[in-house]
Amino acid sequence: MMKELRDKTVTEALLKKIKDRADSRGSPARIMEVCGTHTMTIHRYGLKIPLEEAGIEMVSGPGCPVCITPNEIHEACLELVTQRENTILATFGDMTRVPTHKGSLQTAVPAPASQVKIVYSPEEALELALADSTKEVIFFGVGFETTIPSVALTVKRAQKERVANFSVLSALWLIPPAMRALLEAGETRIDGFLYPGHVSAIIGSRPYRFIADDFGIPGAIAGFEPNDILLGIAAILDQLLIGRPDVYNEYRRVVQPEGNPLALAAMRDVLETKDAVWRGLGRIPKSGLKLKGRYTAYDAEHKYHLRIDESSRDLPGCRCGEVLRGLVGPRQCSLYGKNCRPDSPCGPCMVSFEGACYIHYKYGDR
Amino acid sequence: MCLGIPAKVIDIDDSRQGKVDYLGTKVRVSFALLEDIRPGDWVIVHAGFAITKLDQEEARETLSLLREIARESRTSEDDERAPG
Repeated sequence: MMKELRDKTVTEALLKKIKDRADSRGSPARIMEVCGTHTMTIHRYGLKIPLEEAGIEMVSGPGCPVCITPNEIHEACLELVTQRENTILATFGDMTRVPTHKGSLQTAVPAPASQVKIVYSPEEALELALADSTKEVIFFGVGFETTIPSVALTVKRAQKERVANFSVLSALWLIPPAMRALLEAGETRIDGFLYPGHVSAIIGSRPYRFIADDFGIPGAIAGFEPNDILLGIAAILDQLLIGRPDVYNEYRRVVQPEGNPLALAAMRDVLETKDAVWRGLGRIPKSGLKLKGRYTAYDAEHKYHLRIDESSRDLPGCRCGEVLRGLVGPRQCSLYGKNCRPDSPCGPCMVSFEGACYIHYKYGDR
Repeated sequence: MCLGIPAKVIDIDDSRQGKVDYLGTKVRVSFALLEDIRPGDWVIVHAGFAITKLDQEEARETLSLLREIARESRTSEDDERAPG
């Protein structure tokens, strides 16, 4: 099936369909790809310029969890691992390279017998705690709905197995409230949304309904192969043409309308919403998650009495926040490609493989 | 971060742990987020968990749509080339 999803004849035919529809609409369309993994496919397969020629401007959105996690949470982690002995700070690789005013987890000098450890899953962090009870293991858990159920189940398992030396520092974010905030801010024109495929595998298609119904903006959930994305864009143009905004599901092989009920139940069981500050987007009501009361023993913020200082700022000159809101492209930042490169990033959008700046830098404009 | 890898289920034990085959590599994953999973099913794996099962019928429908588009495109190219 991968062959057909990447087939160049199909890609050409779909681009032509999209161009025909954009032409009959009469004006170029601005479509935001919410998810960084979509941004990656668009650039890797060289769709950005052909889409522009077909009358479609693709704009990157806030869908990179590493990018939207504000510096103050990284700084709280830095404080933990540099000041607490016998502590293992476990997190996904990208998170260790995000630069802050206090350095990054990669450059930090841990306290005696402490360390930063890269893991691939929350369960792997829990295994570290099970393997050595003399260490306090803190999982710096970052992610959207795709990742959140895995974190929730890991916390449940920790409680079931009475693991006392494990906790989670939550950097867990919900996509629909962020999209509402973006639309309510009204800073940038968006004619359609390409919704994230794997977030939708968990939450289903219904949570985006308000975007079509209340804001009148078309959208499509799409998979991550080039022809998936083009099918999604074609569906958005159909909605624009007939003037009937909807939530089209191109990724039906993976996304059910109701999402994944077991995953949603695990999230509801372990976590509750809180107002949260996103990089670039600021405070968004009910857009973050914390552990529920019966799991507070596993909440690192609670366990270590962390103070997360919200006055922390991005590094001088970094425009990551504006990139995440779709206000500027990476090239409009004066640091891009000069002081800020993947080997010496000034902000997370140049660190994460889902960050718009990193993707532009790696694949170029194509 | 939201990269999800399609993989084929090899086996699954009573504690809902098991192995998948991802491009020939066997990887341990948890199936705790899914019901009714059997060896031979395809799943999307993310951060050590299978997060969703692939609906084979829907996959076939998308596949035939893509083949239809490819066929149409070739036919219209032939039409354009056809001598008047």
